[in-house]
This record gives sequence, structure tokens and C-alpha cells, in this order.
Amino acid sequence: MSRIRNVLLVDDDADLRLALELALEAAGYSVAAAASAEEALAVQRRRPAEVLVTDIFMPDGDGFEVIERFQREFPDTRIVVVSGGGKRTKRDYLAVAQLMKVDATLQKPFEVEALLETLRSL
Amino acid sequence: MPLRAYLVSLTLATLLPVAVFAGVVAYFLLAEQRETFRRGAEARTLAVSTAVDAALHGSIATLEALATLPALEEGDVATLRDRAQRILATQPDWSNINLALPSGQQIMNLQRPAGAPLPNVARLDPLWRRVVDARQPVVSDLVVGPVTGRWDYAVRVPVIRDGSVKFVLSAVVKPESMSRLLEAQGVPPDWVAVVIDRNNRIVARTANPEASVGQLASPSLRDALGRSPTGWFHGSTIEGTAVYTPYRRSESTGWAFAMGIPAYAVDAAGTYAAWMLVVGLLGAIGVAVAASYLLGRRVAMPIASLAAATGAMGRGEALRLATEPAITEVRTLANALQESARAVRERQELLEREKQALQAADRAKDEFLATLSHELRNPLAALTAAAHVLKVYDPSREAAIKARAVIERQTRHMARLIGDLLDIGRVSAGKVGLERERLDLGEVVGNVIRTWLASGRFERHRVSHELAPVWVDADRTRLEQIVANLLDNSLKFTPTGKAIRLSVRAEGDAAVLCVEDEGAGIPPADSQRVFDVFVQGSHGQGGMGIGLALVKRLAELHGGSVRVASEGADRGAAFTVRLPAMSAPPTQPSSAPLRRPGALSVLLVEDNDDAREMLKATLASNGHEVRVARDGASGLALAAASPPDVALIDVGLPDMDGYEVARRLRAARGGRRLGLVAITGFGRPEDQQRAFDAGFDAHLTKPVTPDRLKQALAGLR
Repeated sequence: MSRIRNVLLVDDDADLRLALELALEAAGYSVAAAASAEEALAVQRRRPAEVLVTDIFMPDGDGFEVIERFQREFPDTRIVVVSGGGKRTKRDYLAVAQLMKVDATLQKPFEVEALLETLRSL
Repeated sequence: MPLRAYLVSLTLATLLPVAVFAGVVAYFLLAEQRETFRRGAEARTLAVSTAVDAALHGSIATLEALATLPALEEGDVATLRDRAQRILATQPDWSNINLALPSGQQIMNLQRPAGAPLPNVARLDPLWRRVVDARQPVVSDLVVGPVTGRWDYAVRVPVIRDGSVKFVLSAVVKPESMSRLLEAQGVPPDWVAVVIDRNNRIVARTANPEASVGQLASPSLRDALGRSPTGWFHGSTIEGTAVYTPYRRSESTGWAFAMGIPAYAVDAAGTYAAWMLVVGLLGAIGVAVAASYLLGRRVAMPIASLAAATGAMGRGEALRLATEPAITEVRTLANALQESARAVRERQELLEREKQALQAADRAKDEFLATLSHELRNPLAALTAAAHVLKVYDPSREAAIKARAVIERQTRHMARLIGDLLDIGRVSAGKVGLERERLDLGEVVGNVIRTWLASGRFERHRVSHELAPVWVDADRTRLEQIVANLLDNSLKFTPTGKAIRLSVRAEGDAAVLCVEDEGAGIPPADSQRVFDVFVQGSHGQGGMGIGLALVKRLAELHGGSVRVASEGADRGAAFTVRLPAMSAPPTQPSSAPLRRPGALSVLLVEDNDDAREMLKATLASNGHEVRVARDGASGLALAAASPPDVALIDVGLPDMDGYEVARRLRAARGGRRLGLVAITGFGRPEDQQRAFDAGFDAHLTKPVTPDRLKQALAGLR
């Protein structure tokens, strides 16, 4: 187990949040979840997490705003971006996220093991 | 060659023949005028000449009268002298009267005293013999008088007595008499009238009278007189002035009269007319050329400006002309060009609109693909994570229960997503057939609400409803789809805690379903677009943008419509579906709820492990006794061993297809009761029909939800 303990999940899909929360908790992480950028920032201020796992495609602005604001406000927080935007579509959100110097990207759907491996590698 | 040059050439080509013709006419007119002038001059010459003759004949007559004096018969010279002196006194032009013998010897001369010696004049006058021999009066030529010493001439008449010439009586006349005569003729001052004798010596002349008398006439006149006694010639005076000259020599006296008319006087009228003609023609040509040049400008300018303006047409701009062309044809051309320009512009605008529409469609397609990717991957991600949770936890743990709920919801969600996706394509292509029946729209909506309430999807909103029974002729599944999509849309855009109201009522001939929410609302700009495929809310709440499109098409398929009303962003939205209403059925059907089926013996034939286990769990949870088979042969064997009440059969089995299994089961059971339910991946009417043809009682399309399975089993009762 790495030094990372606290994970903040941001996704607009409640079921995905719930499933990932359960899976990460099963792996021993302490997980907080948020459905929007504002909520995520509020949660992070209250209970800072070492890693932010966020979707790109969300209401209230979008995942890019979450990334920017976290990078500005919480520069030490590692950022893992997950997206359903496929590589075959013209909008490759993950590529954009990589340009924003996030720590890792994962394309949905992903095996939980892959996410756990990513978290361990940080 | 420029148009103007053509016009100028045209003008010249038209005018030049006219000019040539005018020149020819003018030439003949001039000739005619000159001829007229000449005839006039000749007539005048004849008149003056006659006057000269008359004057001379007058002198002759006077002398002849004197010649009859009887005293001459006796040779009484003294008496004659006396009478002659009296006559001389009456003749101012006469300078002398004398009498001579036929030999020429004068015997009386009034300029000499009687008795003085007198000359013989026969040798002085070449015509002397003519008087004596021909016995004719004679006018002599001009001679220097032997007595007077001046130029003068003599008029001589024979004095005939007894048949022979006894004497010759002569009068010496001063040439001034002729000068006066000429002056009396009113000859124009610049003309020269001249009387000349047989020797062509000038007797009298209107110009330089003193100096001219006795001079020879001009050589040209002398030549002309040598050629012909009368005529007209062009020569010059003795002073060298160019003149036209009519002349005439008198047959009776031998003297000639000529008039020197200055050439300019003869030509003046003609020359003036000719000049006028030349100047007029040149002026006309000049005016015509200038006019054609200016007209050419007026013709060429609009054409040139049209040509310049036409260039703009290619760029799709309007044809702009500074002024309306004055020429009809050019105006017609300009109008035609303007029409063309307009057509070109309209075509370009159409192309531009089509291009933009294509680009918009392309963008919408990209959005759709991105959204589709997201919408399909999101549930897959949730499913994957939930499956992981189930793997690590004991099934009885709360986390595992939650994970199963996630799986259930996401599976259903995905099934609906894929169903909508396939439906929108088939509805758009017109491939969806409706299985219409008489339905209570209120009841259909109520069923959907109950199902959604049961699934907990209304937990975060205040959902209310007011459902009146309104009958429609519709496809139940499609009506449920309409309601579900409208609800889905409202849930998606309505914040937690806000209200969603559903109502069904009759409005005239229409059955009206209304779903109102207190959600994000729709900006006016989007209100026409929300029903377009792939168009999503501008709030980014996602969705594939096919739910409302499907609602619209399904409503239209039922002969109805759907409209949205919203007071704007964050003011909520109201979706209203109108369907043709129909009369209520004669007997009100019992709206008893679905009877919960009792325990059944169920045979499940399904080769897909996941599906089989899922269905088995669902059936078992409802209290049914379930036996399972992986293929048709095993299924038939199980059925043979112990006949089930109901068989659920996947039509795509590895060894034989489900239709075959159904037929054999039906055959084996004979007339006894057996419920057969087909499970297929296809929901098309023809798939259902095929299932019914094979003996199935019901047809379920994968994925089979617990609710639908329950309904299907209930329907078998």
C-alpha cells in the first residue's frame, strides 16, 4: 500500500460513483465522492485527498474546470482522469487532459485492477 | 474595333454617297447657272450690238438724205457746203463732212475753206472701192484723220445719179459717240464693253476709254473673232483681267461688240453656292461624326460598365449600375444580367446554407458519437466496478447488495439506451409497425409511474400526477416509451427536491399527456431544436439527444404531436403530447392489478450463462421452481422427464433453434396446457410473429427485466 489513502471521486453518474467507491473502499482506500466541480472543491477543502479521480464529461462546467481549479488550489493533489470519450471520436478528452499534465488517464470502461494499479504507481 | 469607330464609320458610309451625289448635282447646277448667265450675256451683247448698228445706220441715213440734194446733180458744191454745214451743226459727234469724186479726190471739206487744196482719200481707206463699186454705204475702220489728226471713222454713202456713182459723201465721226452709247447701256462698272472695227481696233471702251481708242483689241478677242463672228470665250482683257467674253460682229457694218465679264462675276454665284455646299457638307459630316461619337459613347459606356459590373457576378455580388441604361436593348441586357446575378447569388446562398446544414449535421454527428461513447462506456464502467465489488465481497454484505443494485439499474439503463438507439433508427426509417389496441392512456402512464416509483428513481424529486381515463388507439409499448423518455428527460434536467407533475386529460378530440417540471427550462432559441436527433441540452447534462426525438416520432407515428413550452432558462419546461382520442369501450374493463402468479414449474433453456443465472435468480426470487438447460436437447429431455407449466426458451441455442424446441414441446404436450415464452435479441414485429407461428405464447426481448418477466408470466394465465 502506497502513501495514498484518501481518494476523491468526481463523476456525475451516481451509480459509477457508488460502484467505484465500493471497489476502492474494498481495496482499503478512504473515499469521498462528489457529483460536480463545486461539490468536489468543497469536499476537498473539508477533507483533502491525495488523489482526485475525475470524469471529464460533467455538468456545472466540466471536468477540465475541476482539473484547473485543483491544479491551482491543490497543486500537490495527484489527478487521475477517466473519460468515456472514445479515442475514435473527434473529441479526445483524454488527450486534452494529458496536455493539462494530469498524472494519469483511464478510458471507461476500465478494470478496477487498472485503477488500483494506477493509484499504486503514483 | 470599338463601337464608336463603327458608328463613326457607319455615319461616314451613309454621308459620303450623299456628299458625292450633292457634288454632282451642284456641278450640274453650276453649269446650268453659268449657261443661263451666258445666255443672258449673249442676249445683252446682241442688244448692244444692234444699238451700235442702229447708231451707225442713223449716220448713214442722215448722209443718204443729204446725198439726195438736187444741187449735186449740177455739181453745185457751194449749196451742198451750205446744207452740210447746217447738218454738221446738228450732229455733235460728227467732226466733218466732205465730198469726193469716185477717184477719192475730195472736192469739198467743211474743215477746209472752199477752194483750198484737198487730199485724195482713196488710198487712206481700203473700203473706198467698195462704196464706188458696190454702191453701198460703208462705215470705215478707225483711222487717224488726215485733217483732224485724231482717231476717227468715216461713214460714206455713194451719190448715185443716172445709174452711176457721181460722188461719195462722207461724214467723219468721233469715236466718243460710241463711248456715250456704251455708257448708256448700263453695263456694270467692273465689266468691260468694247466696240471694235474690222481691223480689231478699239473704237470705244468703257474701261480706260481715252487710252484704249485706236488700240488693238486683246489677243484672245482677236483670236475668237478670227474663228467665228459670234461666240463666247474665256480670255483676258488688254489689262490682263480674266474675263468671260460674249462677242458679235455685225454683218452690216463689220464692226464687233464684245463684253469682258470678269470671271469672278460669272463664277461668283456658282462659287458661292459651291462653297456653301462644301462647307455645308463638311459641317454636316463633322456634326454627324461628332454626334455618332457622342452617341457611341452613350451606347458604349453602359455596355462597358455592364461588362465591368459583370465581373462582380462571378463573386456572387449584385450587379450594380450607376445609372439606368437609356438604350432599351442594353437595359434588357442589364435586367437579364441582374436576374442571372440574383440567380447565382441565390444558388450560392442555398449552397452556403446547405453547407452549413451539412457542417451542423457533421458537428451533431461528432457530438453524438462522443456522447454515445460516453453514455455506453459510463454504465459499462459502473458494471465493471460493481462486478469487481461482487467478486471481493460476500454476497450478503451490504456492499455486494449495493453493487447488485448498481448492476440492475445500469443494465436496465443500457438496455433502454440501446433500445432507444435502435428504435430511433427504425422509426426514422419507417420500419416500426404499431400494435395498436384500445388503451387507457391514464392507466398506461400510471403503470409507468408505479414501476419507476418502485425502482426508486423518483426518490430525489417530488413527483405528482393527475390521470383521467382517456382512450386511445395505440401501441402500449410505444406509449410507455414516450412516457419513460419524457420522465427521463425531466429527471435529468430537474434539480433535486424540485417538482415533476404528470397529467392525462381529454381535450376535445385529443388525449393530452403533459409532463411539467421545475428544471433547467429551455432557452427560446432551443425550443424548436430539442426534438431533433442528437441535439442535447446546452447545460451539458448529457444524454444522447435521442429521447425527445424518439418521443416526437412515436407521437407522430400515432397521428399525434408533441410540443414544449418553457418560460426560459431555469423556469422549467412543459412537454405536451396530443394523441387522437377514441371512445371508451362499452364495458369498463376491470382495472384489477396484475395477479401475482402462484408458484410455477419453469423450464429455462438458455445457453448464455449470465443470462441464464440472472433469469433463474429472478424466477426463483418470485417463488417459482426453476430447472435449467443449456441447449435444446437437454431442455427437451427435462421436459420429457417432468412437464413444466412454463418454458422460457432462448431462440438462439447452439444445437437447435428455440422455435424448433417450442414446436417439439408443443407436439409432446398434445392438447395439455403449456406456457411457452420466447427470449430473443430482436424485438421486431416479424420476430414476434415468427415466435407466435412456432407456438410461443409470449415474446421477450433481451435483456429481460424482472418486471417484464413477471408480466409475461402473468399474461399466460
